[in-house]
Amino acid sequence: MPTLVRDLRIAEDDWRLVDEGPAAPGLIAPLDAWRENPDGAGVWLRSDTEVDAVAEEVLAAPVIAIEFPAFADGRGLSMGALLRSRHGYQGELRAFGEVVPDLTEYMHRCGFNAFVMASDRDAEAAIASIGRMSDHYQASVREPVPPFRRSTA
Amino acid sequence: MYQYSNFDQRFIDERVEQFRSQTERYLAGELTDDQFQQLRLRNGLYIQRLAPMLRIAVPYGILSATQLRALARICRDYDKGYGHLSTRQNVQINWPELIDVPDILADLAKVQMHAIQTSGSCIRNITTDQFAGVADDELIDPRPWCEVMRQWSTFHPEFDWLPRKFKIAVNGAESDRAATHVHDIGIHIRPGPSGEPLFDFLVGGGLGRTPAIGARIRDGLPEHHLLTYLEAILRVYNRYGRRDNKYKARIKILVRAMTPEGFREKVDAEWERVKDSPSTLPQAELDRIKACFEPHPYASLEDETDLLAAARLANPAFNNWLSNNVAPHKRPGYAIVTLSTKPTGVPPGDVTDIQMEAVADWSERFGFGEVRISHEQNFILPDVRQRDLETLFRLADEQGLAQANVGLLTNVICCPGGDYCSLANAKSIPVAEAIQSRFDDYDYLHDLGPLDLNISGCMNACGHHHVGHIGILGVDKRGAEFYQVSLGGNQALDASLGKIVGPSFSRAEVPDVIEKILDVYLKSRFEGEEFLHCYRRIGIEPFREQVYADAG
Ligand code: SF4
Repeated sequence: MPTLVRDLRIAEDDWRLVDEGPAAPGLIAPLDAWRENPDGAGVWLRSDTEVDAVAEEVLAAPVIAIEFPAFADGRGLSMGALLRSRHGYQGELRAFGEVVPDLTEYMHRCGFNAFVMASDRDAEAAIASIGRMSDHYQASVREPVPPFRRSTA
Repeated sequence: MYQYSNFDQRFIDERVEQFRSQTERYLAGELTDDQFQQLRLRNGLYIQRLAPMLRIAVPYGILSATQLRALARICRDYDKGYGHLSTRQNVQINWPELIDVPDILADLAKVQMHAIQTSGSCIRNITTDQFAGVADDELIDPRPWCEVMRQWSTFHPEFDWLPRKFKIAVNGAESDRAATHVHDIGIHIRPGPSGEPLFDFLVGGGLGRTPAIGARIRDGLPEHHLLTYLEAILRVYNRYGRRDNKYKARIKILVRAMTPEGFREKVDAEWERVKDSPSTLPQAELDRIKACFEPHPYASLEDETDLLAAARLANPAFNNWLSNNVAPHKRPGYAIVTLSTKPTGVPPGDVTDIQMEAVADWSERFGFGEVRISHEQNFILPDVRQRDLETLFRLADEQGLAQANVGLLTNVICCPGGDYCSLANAKSIPVAEAIQSRFDDYDYLHDLGPLDLNISGCMNACGHHHVGHIGILGVDKRGAEFYQVSLGGNQALDASLGKIVGPSFSRAEVPDVIEKILDVYLKSRFEGEEFLHCYRRIGIEPFREQVYADAG
C-alpha cells in the first residue's frame, strides 16, 4: 500500500493519479490532459519536462506531481528546485515513482513537501531521514542562504 | 592545509551516524541490495570480486602526517596491512567487513577524513596538481578553490544523483600535472591583469569507451562566480545528460551531441539566471579558506648546488634519484620529493602500514607534516630541505620507496584490474610486473627518457591508458584475456589520445611487443628526441610494421 508523507507526517492521500484524461478536481493528470481541464486538478510532470517552458501555466495547479522513473534518477530534483526557487511555486510539490527513503532528504531540500512511499515503513524511514543532517554546505530551497553568508557561520 | 571548522566536524560526525543507520537498516533487511548499493556507493563502499572495497577520500590528494598514521592504523586493523593509492589521489582498502565500515568512518572522522562521494554517480573527489602550492612553475595556488568546490559538491541537494560519475580537475601551473583535458570539467586558473585569479573551463573531456579532449567553453571567469557557473554546467548536465545507457551518460557525450557551442549557449543562458545569487562567493569566505593555505614558515635558505653536485658524483644511485624523483620548489633551498610506490614486484600504488608510518614520520622530520598523493599513485613530500635529501634518500631506500623511476617507463600507472575488480576484462597488475621486470636496467630506462606507460583492465580506463605514451587495455577475446596496445597518448598541456596499434596480444606477448616499440623509437629518434615527439614525427606505421613483422 502506497503511503503519503506530507509536510513530514503520514497523511491521507486525497488525490488520485490517472494516466489519461479528462482531468478533474481531485485527480492528478498528465500535462496534456490537465491543460484541457486544469480547474482544481493536479498536474503530473514527467522527468523530461522543460520546467522553464511550462512553469508559467502550471503555477496555478494545487498539486504538481513529479515522476521519478528510476531510483537514482536526479532530474526531478532540478525540476523541483526550479519550480520553487525560480518560479515561486507555492502549492504541493509531490514526488512519486521510484521514491525511496534517504533520497527523500534531497527531494525535501529541493522543495518537495509530499512523497508517495511504497509502504508505511518506508514512509517512516523517509521522515526520519529528513533533518538527520542538521545543516548543509549549499544554498537550497529550504535554506536559500548558504552557510558562508550567515552571520553565525 | 584546510582545517575543519565546527561546521565541518559536525557535518562529518552526523554523516557517520547516518551511514550507520543505513547499514543497520540494510542488515535488518529493510533495504534491498539495490537500494543499499546506491547509499553505500555514496560512501565509497564497493562490493568487489573478493571482498568489499572502501575508497577513502583524500581531498585533492593532501594529507597530514596525523591522517596518514590514522590510515596506516585502519589498514592494519581492518585490512591485511596495506592500502592502495588510486589514480584519483584517494586511498583504497580492500578487505573491510561491512559491519565494521561505520566504525572505520568514525575513526576517519576523528582525523577530519571521510569517504563521501568517492564512488557513485555524483561529483567525485576533486583532483589537482600534486605539487600545488610548492611548484616553481605555479601561477596561482589551486588548493583554496579545490576546497571551495569540495564543500559545494558535498551532498549537493540537486547534483548528487547525476547520470554518471563526474570528475573535476584543477590546474594552476604552467605545466598541467592534473590531466585537466581528460576530465568532465577541467579548470585552469591563471592571473588576470592585476593578479586576480581567472578561471578557464574545459568541459567534456574523459577517458573510458569514448575518449575525448575537453572543449573550452569559458575564458576568464572571475573567482566570485565559480560556484554559480558550476551550478549552471551541472544543471544542464543533470537535466539533459543521457540516462538510458550508462556508456553514453558522461557529459562528454552530451557536449558532443549538443556541440560545444550549443552546450556553451545553454550553460550561459542558465548562468544568466543564477549569476549573483546567494551562492556567489563573498570575499570573507574566500579569505577564510585562503588563510588555511598560507605558505608554511619556510626558512630563508640558499640552494645547495655544490653540496648536491658533490653527492651526485659520490653516489650514482642518489644521482639517478635526484634526476628523476626530485622536482624544483618555489623556495630556494627546498625541494619536492616523489616517493615511488613502484618497485618491481609490487602492484603499483600498494603501500604497507609500515611504509605509511615511515612517510608520516619523514613528513614531520623533513617538512611541515604534510604529504601528497599523486594521480600517478606515488607519495610526495612537498617541503624537503635540499640539505636533507641524501638522508631522506637513504631512509626511503630502506623502505623500498626510492625507486628512481618517476617519469620513466617503469613508473607504470595501473588500475587494480582482474585481481580485484569485478568489471575487469583482464588482469593488469601482472602485466605491469612483467614490464617492470623486463626493463629493470636503469641505464636503459634513463636512456629511453620520459615515458608514461598506463594500463587499464577494461574500458572504464581507471588506469588512464588513453593518455599513456604507451597505453595497454585489457580486452576480452572469446573469453580469454587479451591486451590492446595504443601509442601517442599524452596527459600534459598538449594533451592527445593514443591510437591503437592493431590487433590485440596475449599477456605473454606484451613485454616483447613493448620491447619492439621501444626498439623502433631508439632507432628512429634524433639526438635528445623524446618518445612522444618521435612518435608524433614518424607516426604509427613504423611501429605497426615492427610489432606485427613476423606475425605471419
Ligand atoms: S579500468 Fe576496469 S578493470 Fe580497471 S579498475 Fe577500472 S573498472 Fe576495474
